[in-house]
Amino acid sequence: MNTLNDAHDDALVLYGEAFTSRFLLGTALYPSPMVMQEAIAAAGCDMLTLGLRRQNPAGGDGEAFWQILRESGCRLLPNTAGCRSAREAITLAEMSRELFDTPWIKLEVIGDDYNLQPDPFGLLEAARELIDQGFKVLPYCTDDLVLCQRLREAGCQALMPWGAPIGTGRGLMNRYALGTLRERLDVPLIIDAGLGAPSQAAEAMEMGFDGVLLNTAVARARRPAQMAAAFARAIEAGREAFRAGLMERRQTASPSTPTLGQPFWHTGQQ
Amino acid sequence: MTASSRYRIAVAGAGLLGRLLAWQLLRDGHAVTLYDAGDLDTPPAAAWAAAGMVAPLAETVVGERCVYAMGRVALERWPQWLTELAAPQLWHQQGSLVVAHPQDENELTQFRRDLDDAIGEPGGYRALDAAGVQALEPGLTGFRQGLFLAAEAHLDNRELLGRLLAAIRELGGECHAHAPVEARPGEIETDAGRRAFDLVLDCRGHGARPRHPTLRGVRGETLHVHTDEVALSRPVRLMHPRYQLYVVPKPGGRFVIGATSIESEDRSPISLQSSLELASALTTLSPAFAEARILEQGVNLRPAFRDNLPHVTREDGLIGANGLFRHGYLLAPAVVDHVLAEIRGEGQRPFAAVLSAAAPQESLS
Repeated sequence: MNTLNDAHDDALVLYGEAFTSRFLLGTALYPSPMVMQEAIAAAGCDMLTLGLRRQNPAGGDGEAFWQILRESGCRLLPNTAGCRSAREAITLAEMSRELFDTPWIKLEVIGDDYNLQPDPFGLLEAARELIDQGFKVLPYCTDDLVLCQRLREAGCQALMPWGAPIGTGRGLMNRYALGTLRERLDVPLIIDAGLGAPSQAAEAMEMGFDGVLLNTAVARARRPAQMAAAFARAIEAGREAFRAGLMERRQTASPSTPTLGQPFWHTGQQ
Repeated sequence: MTASSRYRIAVAGAGLLGRLLAWQLLRDGHAVTLYDAGDLDTPPAAAWAAAGMVAPLAETVVGERCVYAMGRVALERWPQWLTELAAPQLWHQQGSLVVAHPQDENELTQFRRDLDDAIGEPGGYRALDAAGVQALEPGLTGFRQGLFLAAEAHLDNRELLGRLLAAIRELGGECHAHAPVEARPGEIETDAGRRAFDLVLDCRGHGARPRHPTLRGVRGETLHVHTDEVALSRPVRLMHPRYQLYVVPKPGGRFVIGATSIESEDRSPISLQSSLELASALTTLSPAFAEARILEQGVNLRPAFRDNLPHVTREDGLIGANGLFRHGYLLAPAVVDHVLAEIRGEGQRPFAAVLSAAAPQESLS
């Protein structure tokens, strides 16, 4: 664990490890690896997620691509995207631990093929088993409070609730549920999936979420590096705003410039 | 070199680039020897597995602007070359059709927007309603919207590869199948020993990986099916949030549907998941595809540099052309023009800014 000091007094701490960036980036869907590398640099991120399910990981056949990711210097966070049962996800996590020599895993167990919604039951089952095995599990979950509490009790030290279904770009679909998670849970919460615009990322950060994971919104932009830079600034701005303390909304207008002492002819009559 | 010289030239790799270059160099009067690690009649090349689309507009949406410029050269060059090969019937310039199911129509809007942005000017396509889609392709069912890209084309790629090989043999080219080689400046090494040449062209695609530290293979899977129940006149591209697949009609009721794109150098047979995706996309184009027969399941590795663009390397006695990625039939004409200009000693090499530039990070690795 890095020592927290003044320069890093706002580090994101996951499983006791400090990260300077609150922007996590996925590595799928870019027009080319070079464009992806530019986006990674523009995002200034410390963590990259990568999917393994379809690459025949046991054969090591994805090595050429993984090498490009390693060159980024970012921590690699293998995911279990594409797994539809706890057993499948556990097997893939075990394989990724060997391949990448890492206990970190972004755990995904998909429950519905159309909207790729997490399967809460399979997710909890897989999380329990993987935590027992010593993994640092970052579960991709829905915004259900009780599920998140159960994942927390299972030993997850950070959670990744969705903003909206993967790749939809719809932003924070259920602010009430997400707000409840933020109020009730004392672990880092990273909004994973469903964000399409920097304003949505800023909003998540303003609400007190600890980070944002993006892929489609950056990779599918016409200029991914430029979009990554835009998101990076929005995430920083949202975080700053959260730390600065947002004002409460009010019903009654309250002028920011005192109006006392103004002559009458300034009140609207010509 | 000067245009009048006759050189002994070795071409390593009998995929699309290797065959085109061998054929053109024989026509220029050089003595050409062609080597391939695999079979020549059913080559293990990406060009054999490919669908043979020449779609500069649609491919630029997922690529760079220069893909469009190079692709336009292909639209001119292919009909001319196919005529010279006495096989003009292999060229089909019927345009291509882009469709999305009603629930995914946003994908079509996004595609259209990306297309305008990528090409820099609106146009080059026509928006179609349900009747317009039906009029163009009566075999399709259930589409309310589509885009027609009139300038695009496709060619019968397997027949073309066979025709090129025949032309190479007719012109006296020496062909070696099942002959893996080491390509070096002015020298080819096979199991049989070393042989000196004036010039070696390395067109081995993924096979040249030992020479290129940043070259990688990108797995692509295709299904080849046969049915007489459906007829298509042109490639149809299906936009879907997760899969972007195309179907290309081939002679004799054959269709190629592709292609997955997986960042892996795995050459093992197609996965069940990919097979399901390709097959379900096909049946949603028309339910009549359900009784099509699966003839073949293709797997190949597309050779790609890190910018997914082709690059030509040159040293004394050795030219390498590689990295055509998923754009073999689209970009090969521009790459061939470039390499031929180099060999013929012409001052202007087309697309030198892209093709002559070193592949990104190639020297750092």
